Order: sequence, then structure tokens, then C-alpha cells
Amino acid sequence: MNYALHYGQVTPYLPYLLGGALVSLWISALAFAGGLVIGLLGAFGRIYGGPILSRLIYAYYIFFTNTPQLVQIFFLFYGLADFGLLMTPFEAVWLGLTLNAGAYLIEIQKAGFLSTRASELEAAETLGMSRPQQLRFVIIPHIARVLFPPLSNQFIIVIMGSSMGAIFGLEELTGRAVNINGQTFRALEVFSLAGVIYLGVTLLATVGLALVGRLLLRVPMRIA
Amino acid sequence: MFERIKPLVFGIGLVAQLLAPAQSFARTLDEILSGGTLKVGVETDLAPLGSYNDKNEVVGFDIDIANKLASMLGVKTEFVPLKGPDRLPFLASGKIDISLGALTRNPTRAKVVDFTVPLHTESLSVLTLEGKPFKTWQDLNSESVTLVQVRGSTPVDFIKEHLPKAQVLLLSSNADVVRSMAQGRGDAVIEALDFFNDLRAANKANWRVLEDPIEVDYDAIGVAKGNSSLKDWLNVALYSLHSGGFVNETWEKWFKGPMTVKIVANPYF
Repeated sequence: MNYALHYGQVTPYLPYLLGGALVSLWISALAFAGGLVIGLLGAFGRIYGGPILSRLIYAYYIFFTNTPQLVQIFFLFYGLADFGLLMTPFEAVWLGLTLNAGAYLIEIQKAGFLSTRASELEAAETLGMSRPQQLRFVIIPHIARVLFPPLSNQFIIVIMGSSMGAIFGLEELTGRAVNINGQTFRALEVFSLAGVIYLGVTLLATVGLALVGRLLLRVPMRIA
Repeated sequence: MFERIKPLVFGIGLVAQLLAPAQSFARTLDEILSGGTLKVGVETDLAPLGSYNDKNEVVGFDIDIANKLASMLGVKTEFVPLKGPDRLPFLASGKIDISLGALTRNPTRAKVVDFTVPLHTESLSVLTLEGKPFKTWQDLNSESVTLVQVRGSTPVDFIKEHLPKAQVLLLSSNADVVRSMAQGRGDAVIEALDFFNDLRAANKANWRVLEDPIEVDYDAIGVAKGNSSLKDWLNVALYSLHSGGFVNETWEKWFKGPMTVKIVANPYF
């Protein structure tokens, strides 16, 4: 009564799975981009926004980092639908991943802001730069270099989180693996294959981000 | 370089080990008798077959059937809650001795697990809303139709084959499917509607069921591949439960109505 592995039953679905991996990567990239913007604005607001704005942003941070991401997406997809706001699976999962990543990225980027040396900011002020100009020409380049490694890690975390899309009708890698399992009942084969593809996707993303970091931002990163 | 990829190599080795043809853990009838418990996989999100009551106990048709079988064996039941896609993997890995949970018998599944004689039927029908124009299930084969289904369930295969033009939204449970229909995310659900009475009552909408069922499936008790000592006993026990009326009485108690297509008790199997 041994369970015999039959990868041959699953390999015809490989292109279908890889298509799912593209969806995972795409929604993760969009969510990470959205999260970076939230994080940047949030970090700016936390430091320069005055007591009220700063506390509001902190409340957002606390709320989204201390409730499960799954619950957040449930609220967006099913909860809001009861009030007539029907989001598509992609919209709900994207927004959930974005809001969650944004919360983490506020604190990560705030650390980057604070690591900017006061003398650099004073120099910028002496040159007559406004706050937005300081942000654009002094702080962001600084953050980019200091924070590139933790930001890359956060991107990987977003990719892992995108697997929750399977629960909300998104046809990404995990969802498609579950679909194939439902047709072939080859759970070990399907999910080990999906695992290897995830590994490939994150490896690709890590190398890609390291290249971006090295070539565009001159961050001293090892590529592999 | 190797120092840095060592954890990866180790990880791959670990995965490979996990994937190596595993010793089966399926227990024979003798082992169940001497162990004193029957491990039963039940779906807990599938009222009235199995669901949690307000005391947080699992109750339903499957639970009554399993308890009856266990008492005939003289052992105790141990219920293992699971979801549809877990049933076959749990059998194959020996986490459960038998799987209930509306396990439809089909040739693909029979490659992986063994089935007893049928326990009950499942009539596949279409649930839609008043105001939608569909008259027969073939009307659903259109790009403007969204079917809301459970990911990994049997009707999804049927849709792929017979309604290839329809859009499909795949969610994770019957409760999610019915709620999404009520929220207006889709046009129809193809499911064994015997199971939807409670969920339809819980989600307010103008439900409508198309008259003709699409097909009738036979749901059996699943056991691990090759576990014939257990399967042979279950077949004999099921004949008694069918011919003595226990299955139908239990069905009517939980489903508030007769089985749409009844099982004919057959002594020759």
C-alpha cells in the first residue's frame, strides 16, 4: 500500500502553473509598489506631519501589523460587499497586500529617514531646498541605499502573502495548484512542484532586485 | 559559495526525503479493532452532513453514520475535521481510516483510493436567482455568465468539459459560494443542492433552482488504496444499514426530506 509518486500526471499542467506564477509575481509587484508609496508618505508623515497626523499613521501601522492579513482581505472581499462595494478578487487581494505591506514599509522607511545624517539635511537646507526637494534629492537616495536589503525581504514576504489570493478566487500559483490537485488528486506532486516554482520566483525576484540595487542605486549587494 | 547555498541544498534534500515513496500508514481492520478507534474524516463546513453545533461539537448525517459503523465494530470514533481537497491526501497518508464528506466515486479518484458501495447520492443541479434568464443548465454556456464554485470540487471538472465558455469564480467553501451569490458576484452555482438548504436560508436572496438535475453522482466511503480488509467489512455493514432503513432515516432527519435519488440496497457486490 505504498503511495507511488507519479509526476507524469502533473507535468502537463506546468505551463498553467507557470502562468499562475506570473499572476503571483504581477500582483506582488503592484502591491509592493503601492506599499512603497504608502510607506514613503507614511514615514514622511510620521516624522514631519505633526502630532495628529503622526498618530493617525501610527494607528494605521499598529492596526495592519497586528491583525492577520487573511482577516484584512476577508474584510475587503466579503465584508465590504455587504455594504455594496464589490471588489474583484484581484482588487481585493491587491488592496489587502498593499495596505499590509504599506504598514510594514512605513516603519522600515522611517528608519531610513532617521538614518539620514543631520548635517546632510542642514546642507540641503542651506542650499535652499524645500522639503519635497530634500525628499527627492537627499532622503530617497539615502533610503534606497540603506534600506535596499530589508525592502527586498519585504517584497519576498508580499509574494508569499499573495498565495492567500487562492481563497478569494484569484487564479495565482497556489490557486492553480489547488485546481490541479482537484483534478488529478496528486497532492504531493502538485504542491511540491508549486513549492519549487515559488522558490524559483523568489530567487528570480531576489537576483532581479539585487541587480537593480547594484546598477541603479550602487548598493553594494551580492547577487547570489 | 557552497557555505552560502548549504541551507538551500539541505532544504532540497529534506524535501526530497519527504517526497520519497513513503511507507503507508493505512490501518487494516485488525489494527483498527485492536486500536479501539476508527479515525473518520468529516467535512465540518458541509451541513447537514457535518458542521459544528452551538456547543462546538461536530454533528450531522456523516457523524451519525460513522458512529453507527463504529458501534457495529465495537470501537470509538475519532473525527478528523477536513476540507474537500484534504480527503484523498488524508486517506493516502493514513491520517484517517475512512473518509466521509460527500466523497463522489469516480475513476480518477479510484486510482488513488478505494471506494465502498455507495452511501448516498448527490444530484447535481443549478442554483440561481429570480430574474436570471436561465431555463436549462446548457443556457449557462456563455461568456457573460459567471459561475461561483468551490475550488477543487467535482462540478468544476464538469463545467470545464460541458460549459467551457462560462467564467468561473473559485472560492474556498460552500458558505463563501452562497454568500458571494447573495452579494451578487455571480449568476449561478452548479452543486449538489441537497446540501444547500441551511446556507440558502442563512443568506437572503431570491433563490431559484432549475428543474432538471444535471447528473446523479454516487458518494461512497473512501479507504486507503488496497485496504480491502476494511473495505470488505464496510460493504457488508452498508448493506445492512441500507436494507434496514438506517441510512434513509438518518438522511431525512438531517436533510428534512428524502434523498433525491435513493440508493437501492444490493446484496451482491
